[in-house]
Amino acid sequence: MNLTMVEERSITQQRKEEQMRRNRRFLTVMTVVSAAAIGLIAAASGTASSKHSTVSGPSGFVGKGGTTIGSGGGFGESYTAPSTTLDHTLFHARLLPTNKTARNITLAALGRSTKTVNYTLALKCWKNNGCSTGTGGKLTVAYVEGFGENTFRQMSKMEFILQALTYPKIGKIIYRSAHSDLNQAIADFKSMIAQHVSAIVTYPDFGDAMIPVFQQATKAGIPVSTYAWGYVSGPGQNYTTVVGEDTCKLGKTFAYVMNTQVKSGNIAFLGGFPGNPLSLGWQKCEQAALKSSIKVVANEPTNWDPSKVQGIVSGILAKTPNLAGVSYEDALFMSQGGYAAYKAAGIPYQGVFTYRTDESGMGCLADKLKDPKLKVFYYTAGNSQIREALTADMMKLAGAKIPPTIVLPIQLQNQSRRSMCTKGYPDTASPTSLIPLSLLHQMYP
Amino acid sequence: MFVATALVAARFLPVWLATGALVVIAAFAAPAALQSTSWSYVLPLATVLAIAALGQMLVVMHAGIDLSTPGVIAFGGNLVAGVGAGSDHKLPVAILACLGVGMLVGLVNGVLVGLLRLNPLLVTLAVGQIVLAWSSKYSRDVVTNQPNVPSGLSSWATSKPLGISSVFWTGAALTLAVALILRYTTAGRRFQAVGANPRAAWMAGLHVRTHVVLAYTAAGTLYAVAAVLLAGVSIGIDPAFGSSYLLAPIAAVVIAGASLSGGLASATSTWIAALALTLLTQMLVIMGLSTAMQYIVFGAAIIAGMVVSGDRVAAVLGRGLRPGRPHRGSPDAVG
Repeated sequence: MNLTMVEERSITQQRKEEQMRRNRRFLTVMTVVSAAAIGLIAAASGTASSKHSTVSGPSGFVGKGGTTIGSGGGFGESYTAPSTTLDHTLFHARLLPTNKTARNITLAALGRSTKTVNYTLALKCWKNNGCSTGTGGKLTVAYVEGFGENTFRQMSKMEFILQALTYPKIGKIIYRSAHSDLNQAIADFKSMIAQHVSAIVTYPDFGDAMIPVFQQATKAGIPVSTYAWGYVSGPGQNYTTVVGEDTCKLGKTFAYVMNTQVKSGNIAFLGGFPGNPLSLGWQKCEQAALKSSIKVVANEPTNWDPSKVQGIVSGILAKTPNLAGVSYEDALFMSQGGYAAYKAAGIPYQGVFTYRTDESGMGCLADKLKDPKLKVFYYTAGNSQIREALTADMMKLAGAKIPPTIVLPIQLQNQSRRSMCTKGYPDTASPTSLIPLSLLHQMYP
Repeated sequence: MFVATALVAARFLPVWLATGALVVIAAFAAPAALQSTSWSYVLPLATVLAIAALGQMLVVMHAGIDLSTPGVIAFGGNLVAGVGAGSDHKLPVAILACLGVGMLVGLVNGVLVGLLRLNPLLVTLAVGQIVLAWSSKYSRDVVTNQPNVPSGLSSWATSKPLGISSVFWTGAALTLAVALILRYTTAGRRFQAVGANPRAAWMAGLHVRTHVVLAYTAAGTLYAVAAVLLAGVSIGIDPAFGSSYLLAPIAAVVIAGASLSGGLASATSTWIAALALTLLTQMLVIMGLSTAMQYIVFGAAIIAGMVVSGDRVAAVLGRGLRPGRPHRGSPDAVG
């Protein structure tokens, strides 16, 4: 009996030793394989050089020629801006808010494009999510958002930094992204209040869920402004102001295009996250303003996810192959997921498309296709609106009375007359941004 | 022999029946979902999900789970666009880089789970997060400028030899290869034996840990293949690329009849489950249900699929068919 047990143990021991030898051989092979894989990836993913030139320049786009729009000033601001800057970011210098104070804030904010800033510092600040400006200024400003992981938000972050660098009073810039986590967004906001920052700008991704922290900041004397119409209830009371376009007017403008270009047929609405106020705002007004001969056959949320856009558009095309038009916020996603769905279905990418944003990629696709039956109309992604939000906060700190809304007029652009496709811009970038091109190239080499 | 055959059939039959039922329902509720326009979307996307699910299946066969799928697909897709840089000449290198990442991530998972015996749920989630962060940085630094994949890949993805998507043919060939390898090769048989009973396999002289490492490495490679195909189908890469592949592959594997505690699994049934899930998604969109209702119906369908999944059916049937086992209430029953 004992002998049997000893033999079994011996056999087990031998097996273990043999297995350990095999494991060692296996690990050696795997180490070589992984080293080769790492080498391959490193070689393949070799990115552009990191050389940066130390230069300074205007904080925003300032074209040649043109005139100066506006006059006067106050609260540390000049209410003037180059017409070229306004033309670049608003499409036309006359597309300014009708409210006088809102108009002054817009001119003051966009007029700061002429002020010289250090691009190296701006880039460092952008990459490090904040920085000390080196001016010795006593103010700290923060851009806090619920989600910041796409090009639009990253460009907005740079616009915020460039704008902040035009104020010598600002000594520190802070940036936080909550990576789509509501609890993190609230914690970030509370952290800013606890740090006694001077002003906060935000894109309120979580809507009214942010009201309590907005109120806390307001109570603590910290101005809070939002931009790009991520609407939170109670501007002027719960927080300082919201900068953006009139979303209902946007919907009516979409309807005008559909009524005149489609005339009769089936169209579809695509939106962002279910129930988000931006999509609801324009969809309700477009639906009401459409001719009776135009039927909305689908109204689908896409979560602003191109992969989901592909699935949704594919489903709509399966049901309505003769789709005459689509209204949506995001031009880029329709050039990716939407275009992929048309291509997969074997249906020509034609129809009337109205978009709220103006990413270069959509324009380049339309230019490449050169199809007269593809009619694209677009507004602007509105990166530069964050500059207005920060200037509104700064004017509030200087004692100005800020209107609860800074509403920008809407004028849709026809792709065939003014192409979104802009040389030197990444496909994912909005060419109406005010970030100087040389700096943009350093951001996205 | 009859009992064993019946159990295997019972394990994998329900998903085929359920898919057939879904097609019948679609024919009445959303006939457009069965038209060629719809299939041109459903088949490629179902293939991508099926290949990711095949990878998950290999891991589940060894009682593991892999939550790094979205990370691998995201980074893989970004590499296809970033390394490819819009040039067909760079496409082979881009695909190799993508496969390299998949293999490497799978190897890391395998070593951590198989050799260091760490919990697969947490380890693969953690590794996946690291890969996602890496992917996010790479996307921001490189892909933003040029998010489109080389046109050669997207053109190939939309081509239709014999009237059906190239992506489908590729996926079908891969699925068949995995099924044949598992069933008819010595290595495949050993792989299944280790998954079915690791202790018995070890006593029989098989390298259990090596097989676990191999399972994760193969899974990572399959996720990378899925990333290449998805990149071709999607044309452009975005920051959310691959994010929907966290739970769907696991759902497909379980609905297909595999047990999360390890053991047998079928590649073809997994493919059918992936097809059913994709078709259901498309059907709900075509039916024009509200978003809330789409989520409710989809969630209920997955729960229903799990309730009648082959694993449960096989377990119930096994209790009934197993000879010589005393039934509860009989004089020989205990407890």
